Parts: sequence; C-alpha cells; structure tokens
Amino acid sequence: MPYLGSEDAVRELRRALSNPNVQSDQLRYRNTVLKAIRAMSQGVDVSDLFSEMVKACATVDIVQKKLVYVFLCSYATLNPELSLLVINTLRKDCQDPNPMVRSLALRNMTNLRLPSLVEYVEQPLAAGLRDRAACVRRVAVLGWAKLHNLQPDAEIDAAVVNELYGLLRDPDPVVMVNCLRALEEILKKEGGVAINKPITHHLLNRLKESDVWGQCEVLRILQRYHPQSEDELFDILSLLDASLVSPHPPVMAATLGLFLGLCSGLPAVSLAALERVRGPLLAACGSTSRETRFTALCHIQLLLRSLPGLMGAHYKRFFCGYAEPAYIKQRKMQVLVELVNDENVAMLLDELKGYCTDVNPETAQAAISAIGRIGRSYSDRCLEILTGLLGLKQEHITSAVVQTMCDLVWVCPQCSDTVCSALEGCEEMLQDSQGRQALLWLLAAYGERVSSAPYTLEGFIDRVRSEASLGVKMELLTTTMRLFLCRPSETQDMLGRLLHYCIEEEMDMCVRDQALLYYRLLHCGIEETHKVLHGQRSDPSLGVLIGRPAEPINQWAYSFNTLEPLRQAGVETEPASRGSPEHVTFDPKPNTDLSDTLNCSQIEKLGTPISGQLLPFFFAEPLKFHQVGWGASVHSHFQISPEMFNRVQVRALAGPLKDIHRVVPKPLLCYLGCVLRFVVLLEDEPSPQSEVQSALEHVFIQDVSVHCCIHLSLNPD
Amino acid sequence: MIHSLFLINHSGDIFLEKHWKSVISHSVCDYFFEAKEKAVDPEDVPPVLQTPHHYLITVHRGKLFFLSVVQTEVPPLFVIEFLHRVADTFQDYFGECSESVIKDNVVTVYELLEEMLDNGFPLATESNVLKELIRPPTILRSVVNTLTGSSNVGDTLPTGQLSTIPWRRADVKYTNNEAYFDVIEEIDAILDKSGTTVFAEIQGVIEASVRLTGMPDLTLSFMNPRLLDDVSFHPCVRFKRWESERTLSFIPPDGNFTLMNYHVSSQNPVAIPVYVKQSISFFESGPCGRLDITIGPKQTMGKTVEALMVKIHMPKAVLSANLTATQGNYTYDLPNKVLVWDIGKLNPQKLPNLKGILSLQAGAPKPEDNPSLNIDLRIQQVAISGLKVSRLEMFGEKYKPFKGVKYVTKAGKFQVRT
Repeated sequence: MPYLGSEDAVRELRRALSNPNVQSDQLRYRNTVLKAIRAMSQGVDVSDLFSEMVKACATVDIVQKKLVYVFLCSYATLNPELSLLVINTLRKDCQDPNPMVRSLALRNMTNLRLPSLVEYVEQPLAAGLRDRAACVRRVAVLGWAKLHNLQPDAEIDAAVVNELYGLLRDPDPVVMVNCLRALEEILKKEGGVAINKPITHHLLNRLKESDVWGQCEVLRILQRYHPQSEDELFDILSLLDASLVSPHPPVMAATLGLFLGLCSGLPAVSLAALERVRGPLLAACGSTSRETRFTALCHIQLLLRSLPGLMGAHYKRFFCGYAEPAYIKQRKMQVLVELVNDENVAMLLDELKGYCTDVNPETAQAAISAIGRIGRSYSDRCLEILTGLLGLKQEHITSAVVQTMCDLVWVCPQCSDTVCSALEGCEEMLQDSQGRQALLWLLAAYGERVSSAPYTLEGFIDRVRSEASLGVKMELLTTTMRLFLCRPSETQDMLGRLLHYCIEEEMDMCVRDQALLYYRLLHCGIEETHKVLHGQRSDPSLGVLIGRPAEPINQWAYSFNTLEPLRQAGVETEPASRGSPEHVTFDPKPNTDLSDTLNCSQIEKLGTPISGQLLPFFFAEPLKFHQVGWGASVHSHFQISPEMFNRVQVRALAGPLKDIHRVVPKPLLCYLGCVLRFVVLLEDEPSPQSEVQSALEHVFIQDVSVHCCIHLSLNPD
Repeated sequence: MIHSLFLINHSGDIFLEKHWKSVISHSVCDYFFEAKEKAVDPEDVPPVLQTPHHYLITVHRGKLFFLSVVQTEVPPLFVIEFLHRVADTFQDYFGECSESVIKDNVVTVYELLEEMLDNGFPLATESNVLKELIRPPTILRSVVNTLTGSSNVGDTLPTGQLSTIPWRRADVKYTNNEAYFDVIEEIDAILDKSGTTVFAEIQGVIEASVRLTGMPDLTLSFMNPRLLDDVSFHPCVRFKRWESERTLSFIPPDGNFTLMNYHVSSQNPVAIPVYVKQSISFFESGPCGRLDITIGPKQTMGKTVEALMVKIHMPKAVLSANLTATQGNYTYDLPNKVLVWDIGKLNPQKLPNLKGILSLQAGAPKPEDNPSLNIDLRIQQVAISGLKVSRLEMFGEKYKPFKGVKYVTKAGKFQVRT
C-alpha cells in the first residue's frame, strides 16, 4: 500500500464512506468506519469526516453503531451543529426493545458533552432512571452526573436529586454505587452526598453485594459519617472487620482508611487494626504486580511511623530481588533501615552491602546511604563496610560513600577518626559535584586532622578555572577559609590565589559576592572571621534518628490510601523533615527537596511538629559590620522562627507577599557565610510568578545574583 | 475518577487513547516520557508521577505502559488494580497483551474500554459478564463473521447482570460436566554463594476450569490447609466458611477463573528443588574470565525436574562466551548481555555442567559486579509446599461431574547469587 499523508488518507476515507456501493455492503461499510477509527487512534485528525460518520450512525449493525459513537464522542465538540443530527437516532435507540441498545444510546447521548443538547437529553435520561433493565438505570444515573458537569452552574434539579437518593435502595448494587458517585458530583458544592444514619446502615448492610470497586467507593464516602454513640461505632467496626482482611488490596486499604477515620479517638483500636492488616499488606508486598508492591511498601512506611515494630519479624520480605525496578528497591531499603535491630543488623548490613554494587547507580547510592542511616546506631560495623566500598574504586560508589560519611559524622562525631583516615586518596575518584562538595565539607570540618588536606585543596584551587559547579566553588571558598583558620601557614598562599580569582575573574555573582564577603571579613580581623565561620550550628545530638518516638496515628491517617505517600518528593524531603542534617546541594533543581516547601501544607509538616522537640533553631543575627537594626522588626513577620538544617535555612512568611523583602534578603546577606540555600514558605499561592521575582529583585542589591526558583504547590481540586 | 487512558509501547509511542470525560491532549504524557528518558531502564519509571494539573498512574505489563490520567486525589491501589484488570481482560480476550494484538483488535478494545468504565468509574469488569456483552474474537468466529457479516456483540439480553449471582449466568447447560483444578506453585527464592537460602517463599494459585450445568455449589477441602497463610479468593468463595472450617465453599463462575492465590512463607521451611555449584571469575590480568556451573537435584519429592533453564545477566564488558555444555545448549545474546542455558530434563545420574571461557572487551576494567543466575524449572505432579486437595463435593445438582486436580511446581523469581 502506498504511503498516504494524513490529508490524503482523510480524502480517501471520505470517498469510501460516501460511496453507495460501500454503504450497501454492511461489512465493507463497517470496515471503512473501522479504518477511520484506526486513523483517529493514530492521531490523524479525521474530524472532517463528521457528516459522513453521522450518516453511518443510522444502521442496524450494533458494532458499527458503537464505532461511530466512539468517533462522534471524540469530535462532537468541534461540530456542535452537526451533532444535533445524531440526537434523533439516539433518541430512537432509547426506545429499542433490547436493553443493551438502550443503555448504549443513553450512554453516548451523555458522552457527546454538548451544552446545546442538554434539553434533548433530559427526557430520555429521566425515563432511563425508571427503566426495568438494571444496565440502563446504571447508565442513566451516571448520565445525570455528566449532565451536571456540562453545566456546573445550572440550577440543581431537586426532583432528580430526590430520585437519585431513592435509587440508593435499588436492588442492583451497581445502580446503588453509581447513585453515590453521581450525587457526589452533583452535590459537590454542598459537600457531596449527605450521609445520615439510615443511609450508612443501608450501605454497610449491602456492602457485600457490590463488586470490589463499589466497595471501595462506599467505604470512601462513609468516612464522612460520624457515629452517634460508641455502641454504634463498634457495630460498624465489627461489620467492617471482614473487609479489613479482604484479599483485594484496594478494599483492604479503603477499609483501613475508614477504620482509622472512625477510631481517631481510640488509638488502641486503631493499633489493633494495624496489626490486623499486617498479613494482607505483606501479601500485597509480594503481589505479582510491581505497582501494587510499590504502593503497599509506601503504605507500610506510613504504618511504621506509628508502629515501628510492626514488621520486625518479617524483614526478609523486604529483601530486593535482582530484577525488581529501582523504585521498589529504593523503597525497600528505606523500610529495611526502619526494621533494623540488634538481632538482624548483621544480616541486614550483609544484604545492603550486596546492593551497593547494583548496576543502577541510584540504587547503589540509596543502598550506601541506607548503610549510613544504620550507622547512626551501629557505627563501627557500617564504617567498616563503607571504607571497604572505597576500595572498589568506582566513581559513583566513592561519591556516595563520601556523602554518606559526611552525613554520618555530623550525627556521630565519634566516627570522625575513621572517616578522616578513609578520606586520603579519595579525591581522584570523585567526579560529580555532590561528592566533591561533601569531600570539601569534610575537609573544612576536620581539616586539622587530615594531613593531606592542604594538598587536596591546592588541587581543587588549581582547577577552579575549569570548575563548572557553583556549589563546589562556594564550598571550596568556605573550606579554604576554615582551613586557613586552623592551618594558616600552609593555606595562606592558596587562599590568596583563590580569593583573587573569585573576585577578579569569576563570572558567577554568587561566588564573587561570597569571596568579597570573606575578603571584607578578613579585613575585620581574625577574631570576627572566627566568630562567623565557626558560628553556632544546630546540635547534632538532637537530630538522631534512632529512638525517634512513635508518632500518633492521626499524624498520617489523613494521607492513608491517597497518593501522598507515593509522591516522589517524599523521599527527598525526608532528611529535612526528620531533622537530620543532610548535606544539601546548592543547585536549585526543581525536583529536590525544595519542591514541596512552598506548599502551604508543608508549613505544618516542617514547622510545628519538629521545631519544638527535634530541631534547634536560631535566629540569624545581623552582623554588625553589615547591617544594623533588623532583628526586632523582622521577627514579627515570621510565622515560625527560621530553622537551620545544616546551611539550609527555612523561614515561613506569615504576612502578605509584598512583605517578602522584610523576611528574605537582609538576613540572608548577613548570613551568607553559612547559608547555602534559603527556603521561604509562602502562605498564599504565588499566582503570578513574576510578582515574587520582582519582589525579590527589588530588594536584592544589584551585586547579588540569586538563583530564585519558585515551586508552586500542586493543589488539584 | 479515571479521566483518560493512554497505551504506550516501549519505544514511547502512544498507540491508543481513550477519554471518559473531556479530551486531554497527548502532551500530558510528556511528563511520563521525560521520566522514562531519565530512567536507566524503561521499567524503572515510577508508577505515580505528578504534573501541575494531573496525576499520571502507570502500570507496566508485557512491554506496554497503561497510563491513566486522574485529576483528583484517588486511592492509588484502586487505580492500579483497575489498570491491571484492564490488562488481564485483554489477555483473556486476545490470548496475549501486546501492541500488535491490541492494534489488530482495536474495535474490541474500544468496546471493552467503553463497557469497563463509565464517566471514569468502573462498570463491568467481571470477565464472565463482559464476555456476554462482547464476544471474544476467535479465529473461527472471525472467519465466520467475515463470511456472514454478523457481529461480535451478543444478540441476546445479557442475563448475567440480572442473575442473583453476579459472576455466574443463569441456565448454563453442558453435555459433559467437568471441573478441573490446577494447583500451580511458584518458588521465589534467593540463594547465596554457598547455597544457603537467603529468602524463600512459595506463591501458589489454584486455577479452575469449571463447566457444570445449572447452579452447582462446590466444596473443596485440603489435606493440610494450615500450610496456607495470606490467602486471597475469587469473590465467589464464602470467606466465613474458610475462616471457620478451612474449606472452600463456592458457586463457581462458568468457565476458567482463578479460585485462589496463596502464600506459603517463612513459617514452614521451603523445599529448594535444585542446588547449583557455580564459579564465575574474571581475571585481574587479561581480558577473560572463567565460568563453571553444575546443577543437581536437591529436594524434588521424588519427581523429575523438567524445563530447566539458567539465565545469567552478564556484566556489560563480556563480549562473548566460549563454553561447553554436557547437556542442552546455550546461547549468548550479545545486545542484552544475557547468557541462556537451556538444559531440559535434569538427570540425577549425570549432572549437567557448563564450563568455559568468557572473553571481555579489551581494556575494560574487571567487572565489579558478579552476575546472578536466574533459574527456571518445572516439576509436574507435585506442589512443592506439600499442599493436597483431599476432596471435591458438589451440592445443588443431581448429575455426577467429572473431577480432576493437577499439580505443578515452577520457579518464580528463583535467583542464585555469585
């Protein structure tokens, strides 16, 4: 067959469709329609065929009818006038003796989605609600919801709503569930379908009759019901008990969600429910569908926040198979870290060690950082493994190990000796910027103990011209400064060279400004410099992960069985929300830990629960030589006090957006020496991005170039 | 709930789309393609992606991505399960779930999708009901259809929807009444270098093929039901009976269906049917390595191991393999770096062995990662967990059905580390 361009193909199809010979031969006619549909599914624009297709609709062949309907529903919005022609055929089909034809016609009538057709559709829909065949009623009920979506502002017909409420008692379970779904959409503005006691009990009693999907729907809607007495509550719970261990993961999850909602005042009952779903959840973790496995894993992570011991005996279930996709492996490792205890630590570390050489570098890195996490409580064993991994001389592994060590020594300063001795000779293997940044950070912190530190730095400074990463340059400046403070004689010369380069030749304003700041700082005397560079930092011992108290279930119950625990960002924000100081990269990538922080909901997450107990915070005191008099006035604009997670400062703006300049720039300038990244949480949605940007630019002195990236929160309605 | 569905093949072409609400443009899939680009392996794309206005929930089945677009917060398990149900239905209808098959049957696919969801909500997903609405294509029928011009749609009223039991249609009639059950067990295991079991569990499934007249009520009991933990049943099984008596009591759907899935996990030691003696080593100097694998029977319950196959994912640097096998033959698939050794039946007297030299790319460093062996096998007439059906009884109908149970054990994710 010769190749036909899309226009030729459409012309060809039109000729065939209007050919009387084709039309008289049913089979050829259908095949031609089929070709048109196929072209449509391949993305060819066949909307020009609309009028021919309308004619093809008038046929006794049900398959052809179905095909034409598929076509009409996709293109009806483009040809509203012509669609009027279809309505007559459809209305005639609604009288057909065959219930299948009736339901088909009714469904497609509502799928045309043309506001102009509403008046023709209402009458057959109303008749459909009283049809004797269940399959027609099913379609008719949902039809009303579709009609409402077409005209969301139209007056809601009370008679229809009443009829739909009445149909909740329909003998067909699907009709019942569809009524719920339809009412949910129609009454969205009033908060969805009204659930009272009789409806609740009716729905619960008929739960068993519905299919899996219907059960999920009913259970979800029942979350809105508040039992009036404790007796009633326990009656409902005992009715639901069987679905709690349902073999279908969606039903099990929906039931548990309802359970947690109902028992929010009874923590003991909720805990018992969690114990009860352990079996089904573990089964879901072994499901043949990897997506189900992944979802189950994410939910297990939620459960572990309240019941850390829940899966203790089953840790082997979370060992990774060779062929599993990376996202499952990484989640499994996160779960494994939670499950570690004195008995299984040797097994677990052995297993994790095996993953460190995974072909996927990200998985390997995840394994290494998992070992680092465990190292917070079993530091000797883990350090042994980590130093062993350095011997492999693999670029990505070395980089991950150095980053992990960097995190580890922050929490466990007693490890520093081992880390310092392991650092020798790493720098040749480090290629990526994060790894080098981590190495530099370690040198800054323990420079006096690593004998080769000045030589390593010298190498970095010699190559600074070809250095591409902003983060590495910034880190290099700070490290050189700090090393200069403890080993002045060896580093004075190279510090001079570095500052000279950064001030005179460097093109990036951030680096140049930082260098200028240090230069001026040195002018202020060594005392002042010392005070800034060895300033306060958060107390690491408070951020230790192990021994974290179990969270109350209510903390996460609202997000159970939603997409929230599956969100990718959840992985990356974890370090910050845990309050453990991780080494954070400077590059403002939209998908790293920042992505959530401008979301208003995150304010609570980052702020309230942790600020009091886990995270020490301190307020950026303006340095005397730079600015005066900001302290008091700034303070009142913060909703929460700024927090410091190892050079990432988090502030929340409580006031309106225009006040942003009072919160961000001045304190930032004062703190430049120690702040790598600044996160501002905004209360309102920054609708026009430019507004924020101009607000920021307005206040920043021309000298400072700022990487401003704005992450909007995702708020699907 | 589910707004749209896109079917995407491995190379990233959208070859079918279906919208249940308004039409969403193709461009929403760009977020998926971006993630796919980033992933090392297309299978590594995370199942849930978020875009500014939508969530994309994807399942990966048989080299296809089923990408659903949802606009509101949904229970993720619900959507994932549903997408798998769609894929299962295609498999059931067309025998396999692949791009070419879906393209060939694009009409039936559209019909199915139309019936399975309405306004984004699942409508009819039970295969028995669907098959009454839309007849599955068979070679014979498509020939007959072409000759007579008749359609695939059932001409009769779908009675199943009106019967009291949703999964079974009324008035089933057969001349030969038969009920067959296949107990299929898969061993998922990881063995370490020295042959000790790191992890092992058995995933079992009972597939039934029931062709019985009328409304039979069946009871299936096991010799040792205590073995099973984490069971999951077809909705027809009465759960209360299982909880109290540990027997399966049910009115079966008509035709083929999965009666139950189960796990046998760490509480009972899992029998490992074969042992593997292997050494794969790469020399520090010179671009080659040595491979030597022997397989022998371990706990086979007195049965022969058949269809034995070993698959090794070699490190990237391995260019070719020069080996000799004492039994069966081997192939080395260079582009995918997979060595496959097809052994066949395992003879306990003469153990199969594969031995020889692997040559590496010149100048490449010694691979740091030793490959692991994936083993495939089959043992007929035994369920490795020891599960046995003791009896099958039928109530509610007068005739005597023909009954049969078949057992088979296979390797699932059976992996030996080196």
